[in-house]
Amino acid sequence: MANPTINFRDLVIVVADPNSYFCMVIHGMLRSFGANKVIEIRDGLGVLQILNNQKVDVVLCDARLPPYGGLKLAHAIRNNRNNENRTVPILVLTSDTRSSTVKTARDVGANMVLTKPTSPASLYDRLAWIAFNPRKFVDTETYFGPDRRFKIEGYPGGVGRRKGDKAAVEIGDAEGPALSQGDIDSLFSNARTGQE
Amino acid sequence: MAKNTADDANTFTVTTRFETLARRPGGLRREEALQAAQTAVEEIAPDFGNWADRELEQLIAAVRCIDPKSPDLKVLVEAVAVHARRVRDVGTTMGYELLTFVADKLCEILEAVEAGAEYRQNLVDCHLEALLLSRQERYRNMKPDQVPELSAGLVEMGKMIASPPIAK
Repeated sequence: MANPTINFRDLVIVVADPNSYFCMVIHGMLRSFGANKVIEIRDGLGVLQILNNQKVDVVLCDARLPPYGGLKLAHAIRNNRNNENRTVPILVLTSDTRSSTVKTARDVGANMVLTKPTSPASLYDRLAWIAFNPRKFVDTETYFGPDRRFKIEGYPGGVGRRKGDKAAVEIGDAEGPALSQGDIDSLFSNARTGQE
Repeated sequence: MAKNTADDANTFTVTTRFETLARRPGGLRREEALQAAQTAVEEIAPDFGNWADRELEQLIAAVRCIDPKSPDLKVLVEAVAVHARRVRDVGTTMGYELLTFVADKLCEILEAVEAGAEYRQNLVDCHLEALLLSRQERYRNMKPDQVPELSAGLVEMGKMIASPPIAK
């Protein structure tokens, strides 16, 4: 779909980042897009509290969000069986684009990774991607989250067998080269063809 | 929520409220939304200089507190890294791509120290000078490749800290 239009009105958007200036910039972008319900939060415990108390439509969280990091937060959200927000779209924001970090984000159930610093276009396009490319959810013993083997329009098909659902995810030190936003998008979209 | 089985996993369709609301008609066209966001960023931009200056002041103060022999070296280094990351994460968005580049290189050095590399004051000092330089208005909208000597120098320093110090 070329240039889809997103209606941001009444979407409840949580922006979780310890950097208040960064939050203000992202908040400003979202308001310009038409969002009128943006909640800024500085730590992961605050995010969990909000998710326990109200319906949230999308979470944008920093990979280093204190106290435990945004990846562990995403993992906690996906593994809370009793919360209605368990399937909320999660966008991880990070300047650490090493492949291991991006893969871990995918493996804890994040919908997308967005690189920092962030431009209006990259933010808008990733949100559009989530909105207009719905993915099934997968529930296994070791993973709950968006299907990591999904198809994007225009990308060659071919589905491998599901043997790649890894054992329990370890969120350890990042390794590997830094990836561009394009590389990250590919990593999130290529799994269906059997590529890691 | 339709549930079915594929291989050994349960897969099911979830239509989130985000998808439902986001697809409603009535939103701004992408071009309009981006233009509005760019205008919003430009409205914030005049305040960025003051904010960045405060962050750099705190960063330099935190560097002055570092004692390489302290058992709390990681904590002291992390106190510097917090400010370096903040500057890195918004610099480019506010038109200071070179500032983001320098802050990123400093972050790499600090992360290497936190991971066990030797703390080298001279390398950190070079990055502080580069940060103060790239914060200047005349370096706004400049990319790293427009100051190749500075950029290459910082990249080399990153390689130095990645390498173990030569035994004497």
